[in-house]
Amino acid sequence: MEANTGVFICDCGRSMNNIDFSRVREKVAKIPHVTCVNLSSNLCLEEGKEQMTSCIRDKNIDRVVVAACSPEFKEHVFQQALENAGLNGHLLSVANIREQCAWAHEGDVTEKALELIRMAVNRTRLLQPVEEKELSVNKGVLVVGGGFSALNSAIQLSQLGLPTTLLERESTLGGRIRELENMYGFKTGPMIEAAEGAKNIDILTSAEVLEVEGKIGNFMVRIRKGAEEISRSFGAIVFATGYETEVTDQDFQLKPGVNIISQERLAQMLQASSPKGRPQTVGFIFDFYDENSRFPTLATLSNALAIKQKWGSEVYVLCRDVKVDSEGADQLYREAREHGVVFSKFEEKPRISADDGRVKVEAKDVFLGEDMTLICDLVVAEERILPPAGTKDLSFLLSIRTDSQGFYQDENVHLYPVASERKGIFFIGGCRGDLDFQRALADVSSVVMNVYGLLSSGKVVVEAEKVKVDPQKCVACLTCIRVCPHSAIQLARTEGEKEVAEISDLACDACGVCAAICPAKAIKFEGYSDEQILAQIEALGAP
Amino acid sequence: MVLKNTDVLVIGAGIAGIASALGLADAGLKVYLVEKEAAVGGYAASLCCKATDVCSGCSVCVVPEKIKQAVTHPQISLLTNSTVQRVGGEVGNFCVEITQKPQYIDTERCVACGLCAEVCPAEPKAVYLSSAEAIPFSYVLDERLCLRFKGESRKLCGESCPTKAIDFERKPRGQELNVGAIILATGFDIFDAREKGSLGYGRYPNVLTGLDLERMFNHEGYLKLSTNGKEPKNIAFIQCVGSRDEGHGYCSQVCCKYAMRLAHLIKYQSPDTQVTIFYIDLQTAGKGFAQFYQEYRESIRFIRGVPVEVSPASSDDLEVRFEDISQGRVCREIFDLVVLSVGISPRKDSWDLARILGINLADHGFFDTKEILNSNGTNVEGVFLAGTCQGPKDIPDSIAHGMAAASKAMQALTVRGR
Repeated sequence: MEANTGVFICDCGRSMNNIDFSRVREKVAKIPHVTCVNLSSNLCLEEGKEQMTSCIRDKNIDRVVVAACSPEFKEHVFQQALENAGLNGHLLSVANIREQCAWAHEGDVTEKALELIRMAVNRTRLLQPVEEKELSVNKGVLVVGGGFSALNSAIQLSQLGLPTTLLERESTLGGRIRELENMYGFKTGPMIEAAEGAKNIDILTSAEVLEVEGKIGNFMVRIRKGAEEISRSFGAIVFATGYETEVTDQDFQLKPGVNIISQERLAQMLQASSPKGRPQTVGFIFDFYDENSRFPTLATLSNALAIKQKWGSEVYVLCRDVKVDSEGADQLYREAREHGVVFSKFEEKPRISADDGRVKVEAKDVFLGEDMTLICDLVVAEERILPPAGTKDLSFLLSIRTDSQGFYQDENVHLYPVASERKGIFFIGGCRGDLDFQRALADVSSVVMNVYGLLSSGKVVVEAEKVKVDPQKCVACLTCIRVCPHSAIQLARTEGEKEVAEISDLACDACGVCAAICPAKAIKFEGYSDEQILAQIEALGAP
Repeated sequence: MVLKNTDVLVIGAGIAGIASALGLADAGLKVYLVEKEAAVGGYAASLCCKATDVCSGCSVCVVPEKIKQAVTHPQISLLTNSTVQRVGGEVGNFCVEITQKPQYIDTERCVACGLCAEVCPAEPKAVYLSSAEAIPFSYVLDERLCLRFKGESRKLCGESCPTKAIDFERKPRGQELNVGAIILATGFDIFDAREKGSLGYGRYPNVLTGLDLERMFNHEGYLKLSTNGKEPKNIAFIQCVGSRDEGHGYCSQVCCKYAMRLAHLIKYQSPDTQVTIFYIDLQTAGKGFAQFYQEYRESIRFIRGVPVEVSPASSDDLEVRFEDISQGRVCREIFDLVVLSVGISPRKDSWDLARILGINLADHGFFDTKEILNSNGTNVEGVFLAGTCQGPKDIPDSIAHGMAAASKAMQALTVRGR
């Protein structure tokens, strides 16, 4: 079929006076497939848009080239003009004759403008429409985890009318939530009760995710609960599996025990009304193991203060840097110092040894420039924040990459704060890295907004077959399935019983990786197909 | 009970406000996005990409993407050059009075052809693009510079404008909006480094702020000294300028990261340049950053302790006086460029909005949140906070907080009374 291309040239209010527009017009009219050339000064304004629409309609134009400013600015306006004329918005190319031509050079650039238009025309004649289609989605949400982030997101989602399933590995809900009670002085009991009492929250404890199939809007999840296996469908999945801590005892000659304890143990001791034999001297050690010490810093600062207030002990904090880049941390640091907590900074890890039932800590203090020896009754050891057990398996199961420290969510800035490379799968709270309480709180509300925006209407609009596989050419080599970052491709059986790759419009992000890598050239990315790009190049330098 | 009016007003179109607006609009709510300046994007839109041959994770590239989504979103009405004058009513039914500065150049009609600036006789030009990446991409007319406001009768720009976008008769336009909830996303002020007189900003041309460097990289792509046009060879970054001091008892959360990313970019462009960072505590936590720091820490010199004085040395060089803590003595060292890593301060006009909305300010001058479990809520029901107006945040944290504010606003409007 021969294309009937209309070329709309805009001189942007005569601001491109190094282009001879009458010559452009004359020459463009002679390009094959061009049936109509229009010259305008205000194509992007309402009146220009209307003219364009009526011209497309009157002259039965089926492909459009706009030669004007950068598509960054007004492409959406021109697409609108096409849609208004009943033409698919994808049948448009914009030749940037302003920023990349007239404004970029001194002197006459009529020839370059002509080249750009010629190239656009030759590409545009091969463009195919991309239709939008509406698909219905399941409104149910699966929240994996039972801690603070999981509970709160489940409560908020259910309040917005989305039926939510809370899946917790342990037999009870709560996770590490009690740690927060001490630090922030609020009760966590009501939170658990609220989740348990909510009408449309289904709670599965002692359960784990075995398998996730399908796409956003319809994930089929196989779950093991106790001895039985169940299968359920969800529109979206939120992982809030928290974090784990590990006392970095390998650095110490002593194993953690009576005198060297974890923050968690300390919190328990502080909660107990009267500790037996209050320690006279307490030392904290942190920020030597790795950079992820926002939460340990906050825990140390608030526990050091609590010790001062409850026990009145001498408190020494030994660290490399105090990580104060979270809300209220610097203030807490200040308060701790005002209450007499002594902070010493070191470049190297302190040496720790037993000393007659007490603990000897030795290191070179950077401020004093001297070796310091501290005899403590109690040392609170550095804790490392780690991804929860099972993160590796689960990320493998989901084909989702982890970051360089093993937490969920790839280090791709476009995914922050809570999204993953798979649409409809989200990660919040401690499982996606070094977060403090306030950041986790923002994650919770943020994911609620994301999930609600996706599922609340019960349907999503997607571009149909923007990237598609030619079943005749596909040899089922699986290369595309392997490289697709969005897990949007799978093998399907065609009528002829041949297995071929099939791309899900729902999950596809139109990144084009599969089209570029397909060895059989069976995948076509509409708008950027080989033919279209080659046609554009071929037109360069054509008479 | 579902409230009648579920439209939301977002005040401030920086990255947090844009995130809020997009969250709500994607959920089908109608959003009015009000911006005081002529262009949207706030500070984040003026920062530079700090990638070398690999991404350094600064998130600056996310900003234009979000801006474009917001300005083309059918559910978002953008009002630039506009300020909120008065707010009445309550959650579900706020009445907001907004004044828009006279739009002498109609942003809908301006095609940014630049013909007006060509003919403008004023010096400096009274019509200009607020920045090369301004969105809306439209010229603005500056009343303070325009000769017509000083008695000139000609209107050269108006005559030259091909789309008749310029109209000197425009008056400030007032309008009233009815909304169900309000999100404040007014952002921050950069700390004015002149307040730290001994560091020499504003007095010595080779003392710059981190923001100056960002903009220089953004526009030129490389660094040069304003005094001799040459590339700096020995650079000092001074951290915590306007953070963690007597007047600012908080960490600005962005400065260590931008300083280290800029230092890395400088080292990448010219490996023989010396970069020294003077710090109190290095803030190296955060997604992806720990790895970045581990990889590049060797190429940058870190000195614990923040200098108190920068003074001129021979020619254009600067002498930095600092305490070498490990040696326990005061040292002097010569640098050709000193960069002050200025922090995030609360906006000076926060008080005006606090008064109009009846909300509280917290200790340092940021807007106050109601309770520990809700960093978006304020003491006024239906009024929420997003981004750095609530406290320092980097770009991803601002986006998360903006989305969180949207979520709270939507919940306030749809699940009340359950």
